[in-house]
Amino acid sequence: MRCEKVRLKIDAYVSGELPPRVIVAIEEHLKACDGCRQAATVARRLVALGQALPTPPVPEGFAQRLQVLARQRIARPAPAAPSWSLAAWWRMASAPVRAAAAAVVVIGLGTGALISWNTWQAPAAPPAPAASQTDPLASYNVDYLTDAPDGSLAQTYLALVSTPAQEGK
Amino acid sequence: MLAVAQGDLDAFDQIVLRHQELAWRIAFRFLGDRHEAENVAQEAFLRILDAAPRYKPTAAFSTYLSRIVTRLCLDHARKKHPTTTDSFPAVQDRNPSAVERMAAQERDRTIRAALDSLPPAQRMVVVLRYFEGLDCRSVASAMDTTVKAVERLLARARDTLRPLLAELSEK
Repeated sequence: MRCEKVRLKIDAYVSGELPPRVIVAIEEHLKACDGCRQAATVARRLVALGQALPTPPVPEGFAQRLQVLARQRIARPAPAAPSWSLAAWWRMASAPVRAAAAAVVVIGLGTGALISWNTWQAPAAPPAPAASQTDPLASYNVDYLTDAPDGSLAQTYLALVSTPAQEGK
Repeated sequence: MLAVAQGDLDAFDQIVLRHQELAWRIAFRFLGDRHEAENVAQEAFLRILDAAPRYKPTAAFSTYLSRIVTRLCLDHARKKHPTTTDSFPAVQDRNPSAVERMAAQERDRTIRAALDSLPPAQRMVVVLRYFEGLDCRSVASAMDTTVKAVERLLARARDTLRPLLAELSEK
């Protein structure tokens, strides 16, 4: 067993909380490692110190004062607080629940960012029209763009509008 | 607790009488100040009273109480540095001599100073583990963390407190 792992388990070892095979492994390590042996000694001495210190007595009248406060608290109207608050829930939640909630938020935000990025990307330029071998005017049936036939009303109109006005002549 | 949830304050009084020592001990050993420790211990019970309708007996009540007191102590430590005006109570010998009394007070001051030098989380694991005698799993439960985190905190706290033990040995 490595020193790092032994030192983490030293308190549990000192108080006999570990399974027998782990205790044996630690004891084998302690035989050869001075540093970890000292750590075990420190842990034992701290346990002994804690047990030797006298218990501080509860202040006189503690329970009576608390009874008065409890009755005052029950008697006063409840404050208009929200029935649920995120902060209160976060404080009460256990560590695994908090980790799961944080993971859900991160995944949701990441998914939203990815969708937004895809949506707002510049659309690809439309492909250049392939060169056509056929007459585009015939292809698209826009014959009104061709020259007006000779002597037609359209030709006369075009002549009138394209030449400068000559005093209405 | 189920009776308290129904509004039975006599049941609440019984809970206080039964568990006040636990709440007081943790708070006082962590904070080192009688007045602040009493405030924290009282607040813990009042929070239990407020939460009674939502209480679910998933663990021992002492574990539930320890968790609330621990959280209040750590919140208190984060808000302000505790003033260490009190030390641990003197040895309750029948006829302690003046020398013994002074030695005990000196020892208590040394321990108090060493505890106050620890960051709040390390100080709390030391209080719960070495002074309350909780096993690592119970400490983890009270601090709402993992056993591994408790083990790491204890390892760091032990390294910091090693000089304290040397100093106490000299005295």
